Amino acid sequence: MTYPRIRNPRRAGALLAAALLLTTTACTSGNHNTGPDPSLAAAVHVTGPLCDALPTGSEPGNPTALAGLPAGEALTWMPTLTTFEAAVRTSGVLDEHGTDGLTLLAPTDDAFVKKFSDDTWDTLMTRDHEKLRTLVKAHLIAGTHSLDQLAAAGTTTTLDGTTLTVTRTGDTTRFADTADAVCADYQAKGTRIHIINAVLGPLPTTADGTGHRAH
Amino acid sequence: MRRHRAVLIALSTLLAASLATIATPANAQAAEPNQVTNLTVRQGDGYATLAWKPVEGATDYQIERTPVDAAGNPTGTPTVVGIWRPNRQINQESPTFADAGFNPGDRFQWRVRARIGTAEQPYSEPVADTTTAPWGDPNVPGQQLRTQWETTHAAQYTSDTNEYAYTAAIDELSDRVRVVEIGRTVRDRPINMFVIGYPTPPATPEAVAATSPVAVNCNVHGNEPGDREACLIMARQLAFSTDQRVIDLLSHTTVLIIPTINGDGRAANTRGNSTGQDLNRDYSLIRQPETAAYVKMVRDYRPVAGYDGHEYGNSRAGDLPMLPPRHQNVAQPIFDESMDMIEGHMYREGAQDGWWPCPYGCEGGGSVGLGEETILRNTLGLKNVVNSLLELRSSGGQTRPDEGNTANNRRRKTFSALWTFQQFLDYHRANLTDITQARAEGITLQASNTGRLVFRGSRPIPAHPAPHPGDSPPPVDAPRPELILDNAPCAYLLTEEQYHGARTDGPGGVGATVAERIAAHGWKVIKTANGYYVPLNQPERGLIPLLLDGQGVEKLTDGQRIYPTLTGRHTGPLTITGFACLDDATVTGPVTVRPGAALVATGTTFTGPVNASGAAGVMLADSKVTGPVRVTGTTDAVSLIDLTVTGPVDLSANRTGTAPLLVGNTVTGPLACAGNTTAPSNLEVSNRVSGPRAGQCATL
Repeated sequence: MTYPRIRNPRRAGALLAAALLLTTTACTSGNHNTGPDPSLAAAVHVTGPLCDALPTGSEPGNPTALAGLPAGEALTWMPTLTTFEAAVRTSGVLDEHGTDGLTLLAPTDDAFVKKFSDDTWDTLMTRDHEKLRTLVKAHLIAGTHSLDQLAAAGTTTTLDGTTLTVTRTGDTTRFADTADAVCADYQAKGTRIHIINAVLGPLPTTADGTGHRAH
Repeated sequence: MRRHRAVLIALSTLLAASLATIATPANAQAAEPNQVTNLTVRQGDGYATLAWKPVEGATDYQIERTPVDAAGNPTGTPTVVGIWRPNRQINQESPTFADAGFNPGDRFQWRVRARIGTAEQPYSEPVADTTTAPWGDPNVPGQQLRTQWETTHAAQYTSDTNEYAYTAAIDELSDRVRVVEIGRTVRDRPINMFVIGYPTPPATPEAVAATSPVAVNCNVHGNEPGDREACLIMARQLAFSTDQRVIDLLSHTTVLIIPTINGDGRAANTRGNSTGQDLNRDYSLIRQPETAAYVKMVRDYRPVAGYDGHEYGNSRAGDLPMLPPRHQNVAQPIFDESMDMIEGHMYREGAQDGWWPCPYGCEGGGSVGLGEETILRNTLGLKNVVNSLLELRSSGGQTRPDEGNTANNRRRKTFSALWTFQQFLDYHRANLTDITQARAEGITLQASNTGRLVFRGSRPIPAHPAPHPGDSPPPVDAPRPELILDNAPCAYLLTEEQYHGARTDGPGGVGATVAERIAAHGWKVIKTANGYYVPLNQPERGLIPLLLDGQGVEKLTDGQRIYPTLTGRHTGPLTITGFACLDDATVTGPVTVRPGAALVATGTTFTGPVNASGAAGVMLADSKVTGPVRVTGTTDAVSLIDLTVTGPVDLSANRTGTAPLLVGNTVTGPLACAGNTTAPSNLEVSNRVSGPRAGQCATL
């Protein structure tokens, strides 16, 4: 059998493609290649122990640079949120919400590893679309709320209809007695993003704690 | 453990010595007791190798890194970025540590200190150096390409569309590269493969196969993307480097790189594909289009060696857990050579460059690294491909304490994969004779259909002698008694329904037929009035029963075991109608295979001509023939492997859909092939022929 060769662009096309890599937005996942223009927003200050693990200063994906981006795109620049980013994108929930302002409680990749086995997660992502949507909505709050505002209110309600407690002890702000904010007050277009260290919502924990699945 | 080792070690030492000329020596005299001396640094792609003179009685060493400006003034905080432990390398006299995770191109100063127990000893004098910037001159077309992962400083992985644009740009700008689409994912994403050779890659899969190619599978689990980024960088290096090493490598083989077999899983960041199937549990069953594409690629391009990239969540493991094909049906020479690649080459080179390869599992490994034939590592071994699993330890763990920053962590993983894949190419270049010999022995061993069959279970991986570069080998995983078949059949017989019946085990409840999957694996099948025979005297003998025997743990169907129809002595003419299987037989007298009949033989001595005209199949292996062998007009399968023939061999006008095999035979007499619909192949295992070779067999 013969394999069809990939269709080649003309030379100009290839150079254009090469240029695309370096300069423009081109992808199905909504990624942005050069980083947003930091001049669009005033400096954004994020707080929490995890912030050091994320792009800072003038690095691509720094908090100030993300402030003008749509929320879905901003998530792609946060390297500890690869699971949540894919879940939000796959669920389609952000696209339906419109522009009324939104707050995201975004669990880290480590939080997802602690919560779900690979099999559970793959099933959620590939087959249980409604469950995935509910899970994502359990991390979304209508309106843009800073962490201070959420803590001052003491409770908040997520888009799945669940009311969460928000308690502050010292520097730690905790949601539903389980999830601490670990890097809070990222801003995106009409959106606040608080990174948290545990998964919220009603789904049972299926991770077995060994943490390393065979290859 | 194999030949030429001493020479190679000497060569690599020379190479290391010449590379070390760029190192910056620190002061040679210890100013204080137990101070580390002779610290040097040497730059690699995305890593810096620190080397020093060991301190007597040291328990371990700490490696400290500080960002500095051109004048040597610190521009950031000194940070302990590495812990060297004795189990890190096989060589204790020359400790090395590959520091990685920094932004490539930045300038740093390093110091190293010993600890005795927990007592910290004085730091060495510092060495400073500028690290190697991302590969490629920004002003040279092609070299200037960068991945999304590189341009975003590892904040983002390269997306699917950016991969395709990058791939197309390399394809267009480099004469050395041809990109082929080997298939599509369930969601119709192209699965591309770089085919890289110098000055240009061979034009057809068959021509690529003739160069004993190497294959790197970069991303089977969508949520383990580190190896894939290394593959994309390596493709650029191979495509555009003017380095003599690269030219030399590509002049001697073809490099096959499959960056993303699981594009759907990568896009969704899931382990499995879009149906939730773990593709690394599907390479034998090939229920999914992604794995089917890979297996067909192996059938057509015939790589002799491979690596399969993953990430591993055990933070106590070494940097680079590796494991050979262990399934007990894998031919011993393939297992041995794969072990030599890992322990002979990677352990040694790891100790040179500061990386820490180790047996998969490592400390607290649990029950990983077993014998499932559904895993590519084992599937490839059962296809006589020398190969290894590669894991990138997911987190920094105790030995790389500065990986809380995600970019640091991602860079260490990707650049350790890049080191491994480049080392893999060097291993192939230096050991090709051993690899091809192991492959030839593996193919002939398998085709001889000797020895027990094991449906599941592993060869043991003995612990490497102390200081072990891991702490524990993977579990023994011996086969359970009920999974051992001492009396191997000659063939499996499948009914029409089993062979062509509709299946439901693929995406959307539609699966390829058994016939299609057998064809994808490249096995020969002979049809007679009884049904479809799949003989075991084939190069993939170890894999066939796993899919077609009722005892198979993850099988396709329950084929009927067919045992030999003739063993022992037969004197007088032998005329074959229907299906005959000869094993350990001695036939004195002419053998005639009638039209539509099939002859399968192993371990048999024929004295007298063997004539087949219009047969359904003729498959002979590990046998001796005194007398001419004439096979003409065969309809289904022709295979002559490891025969000793005294007399002429003539294959002509065969009409088989698969290539007649002429593999590793010794022919005292002429070899002639003419008018075969599909040209015969030797699978790169040449025949020894004393007479002239003619027609389609002229180069076999």
